[in-house]
Amino acid sequence: MKEFTLDCMGEACPLPLMKTEKQMEKMEVGDVVIVQIDHSCAMKNVPEWARNQGYNVEIDEVDDGEWEVIIEKTK
Amino acid sequence: MSEEIKTIQRSSSRAPKKPKKSQIPMGLGVLLLMVIIGIALSMKSSNLAMFWIFGSCFGFVLQKSRFCFTASLRDPIITGSTSVTKAVLIAFAIGTVGVTAIKYGYFVNGLPIPGMSYVVPVGPATIIGGILFGTGMVIAGGCASGTLMRVGEGFAMNMLTLVFFVVGSLIGANHFGFWKINFISHSPKVFLPDYFGWFGAVVLQLLVIVCLYIAADKWQKKKLGA
Repeated sequence: MKEFTLDCMGEACPLPLMKTEKQMEKMEVGDVVIVQIDHSCAMKNVPEWARNQGYNVEIDEVDDGEWEVIIEKTK
Repeated sequence: MSEEIKTIQRSSSRAPKKPKKSQIPMGLGVLLLMVIIGIALSMKSSNLAMFWIFGSCFGFVLQKSRFCFTASLRDPIITGSTSVTKAVLIAFAIGTVGVTAIKYGYFVNGLPIPGMSYVVPVGPATIIGGILFGTGMVIAGGCASGTLMRVGEGFAMNMLTLVFFVVGSLIGANHFGFWKINFISHSPKVFLPDYFGWFGAVVLQLLVIVCLYIAADKWQKKKLGA
């Protein structure tokens, strides 16, 4: 099980989502990616996309207006 | 599956949580300031104060709901999700009923209908403008309202967007007359109640919205299977 970090600070959506999609393709089942975002819109569509794909998702507000979306590739 | 919610295991590499400063005193301060500005504006003109209140409320709802016109048109293509699209359609439906009620109220009382200056010609210019604006808003990461809302959130990239949004609007406004005379005014103006009656116009517009809503729902099912 590997863990990746995706730095999407300062990037407006849809960039964080597209980067996450690309990253998920590269990863193997069981790997985890931590997407760091500070764009409120990406806070909505990244978790929504991942849940729709059936991945495990957790959201952590690390600071005011800064989030970490943790996605585990389950399939 | 015995356990639906599974916690994801994470290695210890993550940064320790920074202690968060409470934003409540700041929020109360801003609220107080807004009330003072509102009172000051109401002394000048009650209309200004009303704009201030409506504007503030609109911004608050926009931020809290993560409502985004850009996402409503972009997400169906990128992710197949149409939840924001459907939210926008519902907003349009409510807006249709509300705006028609206001306009009809003026109409039956024999008063000039407000907002008629927004009934503008529909034609190729509408489509070209839509494509230009759509491309711009996806690249810039927000439409007009979204950009303003994110500037308020403190997102630096959108502050840059706002600067060029203003620059672009000024340039556009400067030679809008040329386009209006040569291209836009050749297309017909369409005010639905003139063609279908007040009731017919509302029904027609709501029907179109319902069709779009169903299409959006089907699109998501097809794309995501859920």
